[in-house]
Amino acid sequence: MRKDLVFGMAGSGGDGIVSAGDSLLQAASAEGYHGVMTKSFGSQIRGGESSCRVRISTDPVLNPGGNLDVAVALNWEDFLKFGAELPVAGTTVVIYEAATGVPENQIPLVGVTPLQVIAVPIAEMAKAHAGTERAKNTVVLGLIAGWFGIGAVAVMKGISKKLAKKSQELVDANQKAFDAGMAFAKEHPLKADMTIVPLENKGGVKLLTDGNDMCAAAAIFAGCQFFGGYPITPSTEIMQFFTNHVWKYGGAVLQAEDEIAGIGAAVGASFAGKKAMTATSGPGLSLKSEMMGLASIAELPLVIVDVQRGGPSTGLPTKTEQSDLFAAAFSAHGDVIRPVLAPTSVADTFRTTIEAFNIAEYYQTPVIILSDQEIASRKETLDPIDTSQFKIIDRLKPTGADLQDYKRFKQTENHISPISHPGMLGGTYLASGIEHVESGAPTNSGSVHARMNDKRTKKFDPLKERKDLFEITGNPDAPLALVAWGSVAGVCREALQMAREQGLDVKLMVPYLLYPVAEQTYRDFFASVQKGLVVEQSHLAQTFKVLRMHLDLPKGLQSLARSGANPFLPGEIVAALHHLLAELQRSHEGKLQPQE
Amino acid sequence: MSATMTPNVNTPGDFQAKDYKSDLKPIWCPGCGDYSVVQGIYRALAAIGRPPHEIAFISGIGCSSRIPGYTTAYGFNTVHGRALPIAQGIKLANPDLLVLAAGGDGDGFSIGGGHIAHLIRRNIDITYIVMDNQIYGLTKGQLSPTSQKGRTTCTSPHGSLENPVNPLLYVLAYGAGFVAQASPTDLVGMAAIIEEAIRYPGFAFVNIQSPCVTYGEEAQQIKGLKAISETLESLGHDPSDRLAAMNLAQNYGTKLNLGVFYRNPEPAPTYDGLVRERQAQLSQGAPSKERILDLFIKK
Repeated sequence: MRKDLVFGMAGSGGDGIVSAGDSLLQAASAEGYHGVMTKSFGSQIRGGESSCRVRISTDPVLNPGGNLDVAVALNWEDFLKFGAELPVAGTTVVIYEAATGVPENQIPLVGVTPLQVIAVPIAEMAKAHAGTERAKNTVVLGLIAGWFGIGAVAVMKGISKKLAKKSQELVDANQKAFDAGMAFAKEHPLKADMTIVPLENKGGVKLLTDGNDMCAAAAIFAGCQFFGGYPITPSTEIMQFFTNHVWKYGGAVLQAEDEIAGIGAAVGASFAGKKAMTATSGPGLSLKSEMMGLASIAELPLVIVDVQRGGPSTGLPTKTEQSDLFAAAFSAHGDVIRPVLAPTSVADTFRTTIEAFNIAEYYQTPVIILSDQEIASRKETLDPIDTSQFKIIDRLKPTGADLQDYKRFKQTENHISPISHPGMLGGTYLASGIEHVESGAPTNSGSVHARMNDKRTKKFDPLKERKDLFEITGNPDAPLALVAWGSVAGVCREALQMAREQGLDVKLMVPYLLYPVAEQTYRDFFASVQKGLVVEQSHLAQTFKVLRMHLDLPKGLQSLARSGANPFLPGEIVAALHHLLAELQRSHEGKLQPQE
Repeated sequence: MSATMTPNVNTPGDFQAKDYKSDLKPIWCPGCGDYSVVQGIYRALAAIGRPPHEIAFISGIGCSSRIPGYTTAYGFNTVHGRALPIAQGIKLANPDLLVLAAGGDGDGFSIGGGHIAHLIRRNIDITYIVMDNQIYGLTKGQLSPTSQKGRTTCTSPHGSLENPVNPLLYVLAYGAGFVAQASPTDLVGMAAIIEEAIRYPGFAFVNIQSPCVTYGEEAQQIKGLKAISETLESLGHDPSDRLAAMNLAQNYGTKLNLGVFYRNPEPAPTYDGLVRERQAQLSQGAPSKERILDLFIKK
């Protein structure tokens, strides 16, 4: 019996791999399990290869897992394209389509001999029982139900619900294909028992969604009433969710003619007094940078979601990376601070997005949510969220006294000025990208410019003091440390658990606020640290460099950084920690030598 | 509609042109055509009578784009070429506002040229005033998209090799519901045209030949404009005839035809109006936004 199973499936586009993964996760969630699913495609519409990874567990899951427990290959050639994303180990059961055969030199796979390799005539079974090869994915689900004990009832319930709209014959055909898969599994038992532990307490209702939908839902919850954007993978679902739902709440969506118009419309909506948002990915973020500068100097609230993918330029458009930190924090001319926040999972995309709106509104500033392809596209089961715990902040409006002699950019103690909007009597002013005096009137004065720069940067000082934007786990005095954000944080949370089970004294910092750098929070965290790793999916180690730019890091703090697409594995991080510990012990031994 | 907004009715007489004049002193060169344009705008706004706080006046970058600063209203002097995207965001966020956009020929037809087509096909109720001087003034005299072929400027010292954009044909071809041209030589006529453009329910475009006294050619100076001016009325033009308007628009660059080229006799629905309809329709029986996470429960 297993408490946790990681499935990896790959095939050609059209094989229904992703929809099989969806059904599996939905069924597991209906039975009360926790789970997460990530998808990976080549960047084509149809054809080509597609894969998914589904992790199902009796306990909450922090990331999509490491090596596969179960690999399903509908096509070897396609499966091998995902070698690093779907790593096979000596503990993996490999199930493959018998018809495609296995080239002899590919088992063992990349030097690894799997626990068991089972050829199944999947296409043949689909044809025989459902009358069409299109039911291959249903056969696979039957195999999984038979061997691993997940979803025997719930899978078919879900499939039936989906197909009932089409025809009852289709439901019956799929039921036969599913049963055939189950029967095959019974007739060919696995070498080891890999059934999942049945749940006694199903844990009640769960939510099942991905990061993009969660982000859009959170924005609507936070009061966002305008979305302007342009389609770009992997952010587009955010706009799609808005077009489905925001009208109901008096909002509007504009699919603009380009990225610039998308953010421009959002800037306009914010000027008009509404909470506004745009979403994009790397190349779109580059195009939006001039408007972000405008929103900064005009002190207009605005939320920009950047769902990171591999870059630069078109890069790896369907795969994840963490390489837009420099662009998010710095892509503007002039001296400007732009808050950057990052969620670490689908679940906390809700909180992070609300936080982004609150910060944008309170500080009257553009805020970037740095999501990544993995969080944006992965599905997670999550427990219902108590929405009453969230406070929603709106921008500071001028009162009657302010409107007597209204100064839009009035210098105040906390550098936040009351902001009016068209329609408000007494509040007319000129907003502009030009440097301005307190009233908004344009100026060329160097001294005013210096004062206004001061206002626009100092206003963020309190933001840097907020401890709740950092998650610190582990022994506060631990000599070993990990720092990670975004989807990599989930891997590090699991690595932390593994490391502590192996007796390593290690702590973890997960920043939700990436920029401005909260120097003192990091200093406090690093005080006890002798060795540590900043783990990130960036070839240039952008996070490590941004930290080093703002504060003195402990000598033993190293960067564990590499390009994206291939996820970090928890075990890999733990191995690096063991290595650091060994170095630390050697240096301590050195110090123990008599000094006098 | 916000509590401080007056109903959308005209109250002529409540406001005078001077009520729309701001305290800022224009930085335009003495004799610039834009001085007259801003006067025309004050007069048109006074005739319409919307209070300044219900007006949003948006511009891009350039000499003419300074104009919201000289007008008492909510103003936004944005970034080069992007007045229209920002203006449409404002209109969609609050369709009750009177939204004006303004800029120069470079701002509107070079860097911002890609946006006009889309504002027109969406038919957003915005009035767009272009002060067309056929030159880049603020950057000191470079070739503009409406400069005539062969023109010598500091970036075309041997004469321009490019054909100019014809702003009138451009917007007519994209299907704008209201297209007009005015001249600062006729302040009264210009104010009337701007007023009519603002009253038109949908995207309205007014091209104004606004002479640049510093880098302009003689033909575009006040005297030159007077010489080539003729009103569309005097030509017996029927402004409901779009094809006739396109024919006359071919005169751009040789004749200065003043008046309304085209006014759609049956104005199409506006995007902002349709947005309101959709909001009203979809909000009925909508769950509270506190329940938005229920969408993620798989039953």
